Amino acid sequence: MLTDWTYALRDWSTYVDAAWLTLRLSLAAFALACALGLLGAAARRSRHAVLRAVAAVYVEVIRNTPVLLQMFVAYFVLPSAGLRLSPVQAGVLALGVNVGAYLTEIFRAGIQAVPRGQREAARVLALSPARAFAHIVLPQALRNVYPAVVNQLVQIILGSSLLSAISVPELTGTAMVVNSRTLLTVQVFGIAAVLYLILTNLVVLAAGLVGRVAFKPPLRPAAVRTGPLDAVRRLLPALPRRKEA
Amino acid sequence: MDWSVLTDNRDVYLSGLWATVLLSLAAIATGTLAGLLVAAVRTSRIPVLAQLARGYLEVFRGTPLLIQMLFIYFGAAYLSGFAISVFGAALLALTLYQGAYIAEIFRAGIEAVPRGQWEASRVLGLGRIQTFVGVILPQTRAIVLPPLVGQYLSLIKDTSIAVVIGYVELVRQGQAVIDRVGDPATSYLAVAVLYFVICYPLSVLVRRMERKAVLA
Repeated sequence: MLTDWTYALRDWSTYVDAAWLTLRLSLAAFALACALGLLGAAARRSRHAVLRAVAAVYVEVIRNTPVLLQMFVAYFVLPSAGLRLSPVQAGVLALGVNVGAYLTEIFRAGIQAVPRGQREAARVLALSPARAFAHIVLPQALRNVYPAVVNQLVQIILGSSLLSAISVPELTGTAMVVNSRTLLTVQVFGIAAVLYLILTNLVVLAAGLVGRVAFKPPLRPAAVRTGPLDAVRRLLPALPRRKEA
Repeated sequence: MDWSVLTDNRDVYLSGLWATVLLSLAAIATGTLAGLLVAAVRTSRIPVLAQLARGYLEVFRGTPLLIQMLFIYFGAAYLSGFAISVFGAALLALTLYQGAYIAEIFRAGIEAVPRGQWEASRVLGLGRIQTFVGVILPQTRAIVLPPLVGQYLSLIKDTSIAVVIGYVELVRQGQAVIDRVGDPATSYLAVAVLYFVICYPLSVLVRRMERKAVLA
């Protein structure tokens, strides 16, 4: 039964479509998370106590409850508050809001790590606070946090699998449907797992390239999390080799 | 909101909470053990084994926990003909997934201990395992503990994923109440509060330990 791959692979276009949906969902959620993270970090460093408190509550509530629960709230509870979302919309919203809380803390730490002297020097050179932040502090902060941010994107891709629980036909949801039809469990979930590995690796690879181009001096790709395929590559020479006579 | 939903169904929520705590504690124990073992192998420089450990880490950190859980739950019956219990599948998946992250935390701690400690212990006649457990591990505490507790926090929240394969825990019991009486807002709020009550003290603990580690 483990040899029966043709039947499981016959649906290959279904898997590819599902993986494509997973990638698009993840990128949309990531965009939302980055926006919320920047806003959250700004609010946590704000002079106004109310803004600081709102951001702190956001971070603590989101980080101390499961993301699956947050998805259920977005999909099942928001309609009674008058906000009816499609499964995809609710899922992207929940994922984005969830990771936004983590990015808030990451961005805040990154901004804090930029030496005070940088901001003071910018002010002495007559840059307004906003321009000092945008041109001097933010670029350095982004460089500090880049690997952690990429890691959050990987977490979004992995977390998007939970959207199957609110009936989004992404990779995991599709695999569950195909599994219940074909009962080729190992093949179906194996294919899905491989596609996730490919997705996470592609994202890490792309992020490595972006990091090399976008920062001056370029971030070394090693600074960004190494991908799973690295391990496979490293595993190959370690396998016992036949002794040559 | 009708708060009587909560008092009427108090026992349902509490039984869910108990199931969540049970799975969390079991997975914390097995996940830590697995992580420790993998970290020991990975830092051991035993050729094939160390590479295998690395392969395990990358595969289990590069795929979703849900896929791993489904694979184990449905795959066990498919491969062997024997069904694995829902609790068993959830525990195994959580162990393997969180074990991979925990292993990297231990590795960072182990690698921070100077090699000289190994060499000195060996010279003093301690065996490999004696050295690892008696000399190296105790020195990793300050580095390992804050991220380790942070990882436990994410493990506790991840137990909710076992709902998908049918483990009856806190989220599922919240849904059970909703199925019977409706009012998803109140019921999910109750579930969220219960998670928060468990997780928030841990978050505070992590922050306190991190601050102490920085000052030390």
